[in-house]
Amino acid sequence: MKSPVPIADCHGHIGVHPDFPSYKVEPAEMVQTMELLNIEILAVTSTRACYTDCPRGNAEVSEVLKRYPKQFRGYVTVNPQPQGEALRELEHWAHFHRPPLIKLHPYLHRYPVNGGGYRPVWDYANQTEAVVLVHTWDSDPACSPLLLLTIARDYPRTSIIMGHSGGTWNGYMQALEVGRQTPNTYLDITGSQSHRTILELLVKSVGADRILLGSDMPYLEAAVSLGRVLTAQIPDGAKEAILRNNFMRLLREG
Amino acid sequence: MSESAIETCLREVADWHVFDANVRMGRSGIHGGLALEPPELVVEMDRNGIEQALISHFTAVEYDAFEGNTALAQAVNQRLVPCWAALPETDFIKQLDERKPAAVRLYFAPLRHNFSPAPWCSGELCSFLQDGRILTLIAAEDIGWEALANLLENFPGLHVLLLEAGYRADRYLFPLLRKFPNLYFDSSTYLGHRQLECFVERFGPERIVFGSRLPLYTPGAALAVLATARISDQNKRAIGGGNLRSLLESSEQ
Repeated sequence: MKSPVPIADCHGHIGVHPDFPSYKVEPAEMVQTMELLNIEILAVTSTRACYTDCPRGNAEVSEVLKRYPKQFRGYVTVNPQPQGEALRELEHWAHFHRPPLIKLHPYLHRYPVNGGGYRPVWDYANQTEAVVLVHTWDSDPACSPLLLLTIARDYPRTSIIMGHSGGTWNGYMQALEVGRQTPNTYLDITGSQSHRTILELLVKSVGADRILLGSDMPYLEAAVSLGRVLTAQIPDGAKEAILRNNFMRLLREG
Repeated sequence: MSESAIETCLREVADWHVFDANVRMGRSGIHGGLALEPPELVVEMDRNGIEQALISHFTAVEYDAFEGNTALAQAVNQRLVPCWAALPETDFIKQLDERKPAAVRLYFAPLRHNFSPAPWCSGELCSFLQDGRILTLIAAEDIGWEALANLLENFPGLHVLLLEAGYRADRYLFPLLRKFPNLYFDSSTYLGHRQLECFVERFGPERIVFGSRLPLYTPGAALAVLATARISDQNKRAIGGGNLRSLLESSEQ
């Protein structure tokens, strides 16, 4: 099985995880998986940055971008703590991509996405028309999709990707509510919970143009999201939009 | 797209004669419109190239095990193979025995059937399952790793199919698989990057069976993971259906 159209994947990582063994995580091995599934572009975040160390993690992304400029795009991952580091990181790695790709992980950084520490980041994102990928989860006090409703309105020049779309069925409903009310938000289908009929519901409710394929590779197997999209009962045009066109548009490529 | 994506996607699946180990049917108070009755379930199976399914009934877990089994008995056929609910009660075991079960599913969790897998509670039931070589399905969240290890220690002849072990499971799963040769697991949540092919490289294909979690989750995800694993077609057929058929035939014998 291979995607019939080259995929632009909005949600990938580099690195390992503390709580389970990771497999074939070297960038060269990831590229092999990408070729196998026909993933042309993968936007990656440093997992190290999501857990412990943004400067070192972003430097690792920089190295991967140098080695594989065609296949990878890089998010700059920032943490509101320690104070001031986030803006320094965004400016230091501003060359990763235009518009900037920014990753926030309020759950692992234990800081609410609407907290004051993130305000300079949102200001920067709004000024630069950045694409901001936020890890979201069902009703989580730090990263419920519903917390992004006000943020999306306050920072209308950003494009906000709701990572995992809240994850659970209820989380998806929260993300859908945000998507319905704000034009600058996108639903990322990354995740292991491949709810039956949810993709059809998203397309019907907010349109295929607001849905993005993410894989969480090399954390999750990228075929999970590919299989979900290919077997969904939606038009082929919607599948193409989700697999490729929507994220390419956000990247302003192609 | 030059052809229907689903046709492309499912072409090779048809060759595996997929036997899905993790399917439920009937009305659910928890899952609402996602739950399906047999006619709609079969439509979904057909759409995804699933030939047969080992099915449990939502009523058996959400309300009453006996009533769920009775409803299940009315639905089963060549394609929908029953996986009966079982309780640690002598009368229930007798009724179960009359059904000549090949597979049962146990729900130990407090908010489910609320009983212990330890011999002081489940001894009669587990001895019955072990002696009859009845395949025993247990979801990981219904038992926990320590209790599972104890169950396998206490009933070394019990054939256990662990459902939904999860992609984070390997540090528990691998030692258990090495120690207990009658432990198997389903692929429904074994979704880590290249995890399936790495497992087969290490353990071979015999200990894993295909599962989808229909009707709550789309089978497309688990099917795509198997389809894109860099393992032989023979191994895909074993995982897709062959292993489960062998386990059930062993039960029936």
